[in-house]
Amino acid sequence: MDYVNLRRQAASLRKSLFDQGYLDEQFYQLEDLQDDASPNFVEEVVTLFFRDSARLMANIDQALDKCVKDFNKLDVYMQQLKGSCTSIGASRLKTECTFFRECCRDENIEGCMRSFQKIKREHSVLRQKLESYFQLLRQAGPIECATRPSK
Amino acid sequence: MANLTIEDNFPAGIRVLVIDDDRTSLHVVCMMLESCGYKVTKCTSGKEGLEMLRQEGQFDIVLTDVHMPDMDGFQLLEHVGLEMDLPVVMLSVDSSHENVVKGLKHGACDYLIKPVQREELEKIGEHVITWRRANAGIFDD
Repeated sequence: MDYVNLRRQAASLRKSLFDQGYLDEQFYQLEDLQDDASPNFVEEVVTLFFRDSARLMANIDQALDKCVKDFNKLDVYMQQLKGSCTSIGASRLKTECTFFRECCRDENIEGCMRSFQKIKREHSVLRQKLESYFQLLRQAGPIECATRPSK
Repeated sequence: MANLTIEDNFPAGIRVLVIDDDRTSLHVVCMMLESCGYKVTKCTSGKEGLEMLRQEGQFDIVLTDVHMPDMDGFQLLEHVGLEMDLPVVMLSVDSSHENVVKGLKHGACDYLIKPVQREELEKIGEHVITWRRANAGIFDD
């Protein structure tokens, strides 16, 4: 197994996540918290995020499906999702959450629905990319690969 | 009344209760606090958090999210102000001026906007010291 190549791929994927705006500086904060005592901290938090956010998004989907137009409720859900996105540095998702909330404020249901489709796509893409990233790190081996390489 | 030996042990002696219904945010904030040397207890519900606080003497400071389903941070702040003598720091992704002012006016000693930086959390121990110094006079009749 070519560990050097795997590490390079992981570093390259990580860089592209920042360059393309999927992740922001908050992700560095998570990486900084990872150490020998908590060697899988970043992956744990990210896994927790995707688990909880998927559940929240299912609730939002249901609320939108019912077409009840309870903008307050939608806004509450979306604020919660935004909070989670913020905590892991999921920048694009965070931006889209903000836009969704603006649509709620304007009581623009079509806007909400379009925005939510975008949120679902971004969520799925980020999940795939981060899953690939962590898989590469695992395959690449020792713990020093999981801590932050040069910015 | 004030336990000033906390300063000798600072920040390791400081016991923080963190309340946030968002488990991701809670996990990150608690990890940051632990990395600063604080002793951290997590809680995902305002009501549960309040019950824990009512069991006296367990915590030196409370960090609470503002928007929670069962009891929001402002309600918690009000209860803590009426029933206990503890500093409260509010956390929120909502940076609206009116909420920040509301929090501070109702007695929160700080209002932090998410994502919270480790450097901001490092300072919360100072709130404990300041709070105890400020309140020592009131109880020393």
